[in-house]
Amino acid sequence: MQGVDGSGTDSQNNASGAAGRPNPADDHPKPPEDSLPPAIELRSVTKTFVLESGEELTAVRDASLTVARGEFVCVVGPSGHGKSTILNLIAGFIEPSNGEIFVNGKPVEGPGPDRGVVFQRDTLFLWRRVAANISFGLEARGVPKQERKATVERYLKTVGLKDFAGAWPRQLSGGMRRRVAIAAVFANEPDVFLMDEPFVGLDYLRRAQLHKVLLDLWEEGGHRAVFMITHDVDEALALGDRILVVKEGRIVEDVEVGLPRPRSTYMITGEEASIIRRSVVLHFGDLEIA
Amino acid sequence: MSSADRGPGSALEESNRVVSPSSIRDGTSTSRSKPRRIHPLAILSFLALIAAWQASSIILGETVGYKRVPGLEDIFYSFIEYAGYWQGGLGAESTRTGAEPTNWGATLGLGHNTLVTMLRTITGYTIGVITGIGLGFLIAWSKIARGVLTFPAHLARMMPLLAMIPLFALWFGNSELGVLTFIAFAVGILLFAITINAIGNVPLYYRQYARSLGASPLRTYARVVFPAAFPQLRGGLLLAVAFSWSAALAAEFLGQQVGLGHVLQSALYYASTDVVALTGLVVIVFAAVTYLAANKTLAWLTRWAE
Repeated sequence: MQGVDGSGTDSQNNASGAAGRPNPADDHPKPPEDSLPPAIELRSVTKTFVLESGEELTAVRDASLTVARGEFVCVVGPSGHGKSTILNLIAGFIEPSNGEIFVNGKPVEGPGPDRGVVFQRDTLFLWRRVAANISFGLEARGVPKQERKATVERYLKTVGLKDFAGAWPRQLSGGMRRRVAIAAVFANEPDVFLMDEPFVGLDYLRRAQLHKVLLDLWEEGGHRAVFMITHDVDEALALGDRILVVKEGRIVEDVEVGLPRPRSTYMITGEEASIIRRSVVLHFGDLEIA
Repeated sequence: MSSADRGPGSALEESNRVVSPSSIRDGTSTSRSKPRRIHPLAILSFLALIAAWQASSIILGETVGYKRVPGLEDIFYSFIEYAGYWQGGLGAESTRTGAEPTNWGATLGLGHNTLVTMLRTITGYTIGVITGIGLGFLIAWSKIARGVLTFPAHLARMMPLLAMIPLFALWFGNSELGVLTFIAFAVGILLFAITINAIGNVPLYYRQYARSLGASPLRTYARVVFPAAFPQLRGGLLLAVAFSWSAALAAEFLGQQVGLGHVLQSALYYASTDVVALTGLVVIVFAAVTYLAANKTLAWLTRWAE
């Protein structure tokens, strides 16, 4: 169903075995037909940038992967090793130098509403109030006003910001703004969600609260595929069905997280999770600390 | 417990440090700044300036048949001179017909000339804002056009505007259209350059985000790029207020028969430095009023900005 075929991949590792290799789809509604194409598919994708100096920088090297429908995939890896480039390629913000990308079987040709993107940066439209931010995508897609209003109200309630519909983004805290950004993307009901470190800069408690919000939205939206970049392995363990490790532009690890949902702090700090964590972290190098 | 049942409790907890829902409904916010007070030193420096002016007037005196620096008393009593700039009517005859100047006639003279200049300034400013920002946005739509025109636009902004007045006089004659076109040109060229710059500074991720939500390129430009660039135009729009007053006075100075610029030109011809000073004060007051009005309006329009 899913896997990584890119060169440099460390095969399916022992951690996966330790986790029992359950099928993530077991916990979620199965796609109506097995014949449906995967949510995301990369076929031997390479991305090379030409720098101002004329030098070439290959950010992604021959990456192949599939993300099944309904799967929550977390991507970890050192900074500057190509994680965001892969996400930008799937989003259609940049084009691959080589290879092909498909979303639900259709080739990616530029950005589109079938792929909702939650950025690392704060992308809320400051000139639109909270409710208007959430309805932006719906307006753009020509959703009727009444339907738009109902959808916005539903998502505001889900993210716990019902009373802040009329607020300007500048009046909200960082955590509240993250909720609005996530709600705006989920309200647009894309086929896949692409998230680039959506909770960066928030403290542990805020993150934990937002994980709950995210999973609630994911549940409410019928478990659409999520491709989320994070630097936090614990976050990946808390949220992901799979964890991919990207290093030097290659997908070097693909671990299935067999922990059942909902996941507690106890579970993601338990023995099973520790084995997965170690297999992921060791790809960052055996660092000597203190 | 589902999130739908959970309600907004956690957000409200966070909100204690930010803003309460009731204050949002009231339109108030804790982050709003308090009105600024005038610093006592500012008042002192203003009084010192008046004292220095008066001292200069006394020291220099009447050297070559007129006062180089008119005293405060001269400026005050020069008000009656404005009666000479009233064409007659509304209970005050024109002094050109031999009538004695009156305070009522002076009031009408000053009011009429100020009103004419102000209307020219506001009209020229409005046309300049619309054309400057409008053209800026039209041209910045295309990356190539933006690249090609940014440098010439900055060059045009640096043109000595006052030196262009005779050219405008040649093109339009001493007509109302010439005055308005000149003011609009002065404002428009400034805002054109600032607009192109502002659009270039809108972060790429705003466009990417809008496109990923399904917005067309046109909707992205109109609903995202334009408002995102707007706060950067605020400084230019305020600067253009002062520009438009200068341009209006300069255009009137060279050939108009009515307006504060015309008053200045006549007063200089007769070496009435007191009238020049009083007219200068009137311009300062009205320019300040229009600046404050523009500032207030722009502050409201960008009340969402951080």
